[in-house]
Amino acid sequence: MSRVLRAEWTKLRTVPSTAWLVAAVIGLTLALGVAAVASVDTAHCPTPTTCAEDTARLSLTGVWLGQAAVAVLAVLAVTNEHASGLIRSTLAASPSRVRVLAGRLTVVTVTVVAAAALGVAGSVLAAAAILPSNGFTPAHGYAQLSLADGPTLRAAAGSVLYLGLVAVIGVAVATIVRGTAAALTAALTVLYAIPLLVRFVSDPGWQEQLQRWSPSSAGLTIQATTGLERLPIQPWAGLGVLAGYAFVTLVLAAALFHSRDAG
Amino acid sequence: MTTTLRPVPPRSQRAAGFGRLLRAEWTKFRSVPGWVAGMVAAVVVTVLVSLLAASGSGTDANDVPDLVTGPDGGLVADAFQFVHGPMTGDGSVTVRVTGQDASHDDAMAGLMIKDGTTPGSVYAALMVTPADGVRLRAMFDADVAGRDGVAPRWLRLVRSGTEVTGYESADGIDWAEVGTVDVPGLPETAELGVFVASPPDVRVERQAGSTSVGEVETIGRATFADLAVDADDAVAPERWSGTDVGRTGTGAVTIAGGVLTVTGSGDIGPDPPDDDPVQIGLFGAVVGLMVVIAVAVLFATSEYGRAMIRTTFAVTPRRGQVLAAKAIVIGGVTFVAGLVAAVTAVLLTRPLLRDAGFGPPAFPESSLFDGPVLRAVVGTAAMLAVVAVLALAAGILTRHSAGAITGVVLLVVLPILVASALPPGAAEWIMRLTPAGALAIQRTKDPTAGLVEPWAMVGPWAGFGMLCLYATVAMALAARSLRGRDT
Repeated sequence: MSRVLRAEWTKLRTVPSTAWLVAAVIGLTLALGVAAVASVDTAHCPTPTTCAEDTARLSLTGVWLGQAAVAVLAVLAVTNEHASGLIRSTLAASPSRVRVLAGRLTVVTVTVVAAAALGVAGSVLAAAAILPSNGFTPAHGYAQLSLADGPTLRAAAGSVLYLGLVAVIGVAVATIVRGTAAALTAALTVLYAIPLLVRFVSDPGWQEQLQRWSPSSAGLTIQATTGLERLPIQPWAGLGVLAGYAFVTLVLAAALFHSRDAG
Repeated sequence: MTTTLRPVPPRSQRAAGFGRLLRAEWTKFRSVPGWVAGMVAAVVVTVLVSLLAASGSGTDANDVPDLVTGPDGGLVADAFQFVHGPMTGDGSVTVRVTGQDASHDDAMAGLMIKDGTTPGSVYAALMVTPADGVRLRAMFDADVAGRDGVAPRWLRLVRSGTEVTGYESADGIDWAEVGTVDVPGLPETAELGVFVASPPDVRVERQAGSTSVGEVETIGRATFADLAVDADDAVAPERWSGTDVGRTGTGAVTIAGGVLTVTGSGDIGPDPPDDDPVQIGLFGAVVGLMVVIAVAVLFATSEYGRAMIRTTFAVTPRRGQVLAAKAIVIGGVTFVAGLVAAVTAVLLTRPLLRDAGFGPPAFPESSLFDGPVLRAVVGTAAMLAVVAVLALAAGILTRHSAGAITGVVLLVVLPILVASALPPGAAEWIMRLTPAGALAIQRTKDPTAGLVEPWAMVGPWAGFGMLCLYATVAMALAARSLRGRDT
């Protein structure tokens, strides 16, 4: 297994796009997070103490953007091999396909989680520095944002896990579909188009059900630190829903990868 | 590989050459089963998601007690303080508005003639406002602008049959006509008087996916003097009485030294709910968009993947023309597919939405050919087509499918998700500056900040125009980079 892992790691790090995408996961997460935090101040509320802003969640807005780079990285890690025909050599060298998939999944997920941890931690630290100057001060009833705070740590660590699960789903979907454009469109639809539908459906009952069962809307409840009693699904349960989808697509991918011709 | 040099053909042959180029690009498009299937999938996805969105939507706008409907059956606001007496037949009334509080930009103080005091009855009114100058309004939708200026102001309203004409003057000597409005259904004996209204301030707050709209009452106050009625059969102003039309509970009337002071709150005008059933019925286009982007990017990048581009450019060395032909083919195909999807989606979702409460009077019946509905349906197809052209240009620029698809999806969809988590001010700027604002073309109603959909804050053409600007710039960059680089 360690040989498979080393082979997969060598393939991943020698593709030039990988370094760019890792930088994008970190940079995009950080950039959008900082922009979102900087655009909100207490002046838009009737009084500074009534903003009801979830500052931890706001600081993690960048995950919405970083997840795109994660999806591209995960999809390309699989489809590049199919496009170039390298997959035939890979499977000739290590005939156990489940082991190849496991190795690839491990390498991609570990890379993404490491990058995500940097981007997420940086976002929270940057937000902690910016928020007080926008009026979110302890005097106005907003605790200083800090990773030492239990719910904030859960939101941040959960966001890293969320991006890791996005990577798992990306690898699985790409293994099932094999074409770059089709796999990426499927992944981006799940990550961006479905949350739009969930957000703008107006019937409260439908909205609650959709929020509870749509992969990325449920998964991102892990970022909530205020108003938990009003959430349609609790943070860890929401991340669990996303993990469920990741598991199901992964099993399907393993079954297909095992039974299909290389191509 | 050998290269043959050919002389540049004369102009007439070049036109025929572009026709051939179009046919060549069309042949490329239709001969790839995956792309044709992708377009069909975009139509199916758009219709299915629209049906899902319609099933998941509902409204209680028709369940509110005391709905006020105007002469055309739509919902209206009709609340103000009215000091009035009956007048039979033709006649005129003159008043000097000596002062008006700036309680709201659109606070109103002036003269009105109305069919009784029941909210929703027909009227014509001439008024001064703190920020919009002198206005002559009638029937809840007619609005004629007079000159700029605030109180003190002389106003005169003249009734002749069902026609009402307004005049205004700064000094009571030089008079200017504001305009004439027709008030069909104004009875022979109508209530004539002075009125004061002041619309509520709307406060919108937006936090992580939820929008709350609060209304704060404002109280308008104005003073009137030199009231004079010139009519054969009218009650004199001294015997007028005050009515709190629409029961706002804030009105008051006092008279001291010939000056009439009136306070009142409320608004007069159309008051339809912000929700837009046509837009809900077209919602699936957001998901269909994803497929369109992928197909359009592949239409560009697959030429590079298979080095087909060398053959293409060997046949037609004019690279700009090849790009134009590609844009016309992908834009045209997407427009037709989008139109089929939009018409089908609107027609299929209509009965679902009516059952969910989107019916008269809050939501008047509309036909597919009503101006705003037609704009929304054709605009949806046009939006998809322009996004396809943007995606094509991105594909040519990057020569990389994954990068181009992701970039365009992020440009079009991500701003919506981010904006809906930010306060209204920041959200509105995001909608003005990104192609995501183009979704506003799907709305049939006026811009509003009161909805969770952030694109509702911009007008239909502002949003669509920004998308076109992005597509134009991307096409220009693509054309430049095609000319400047190796294949």
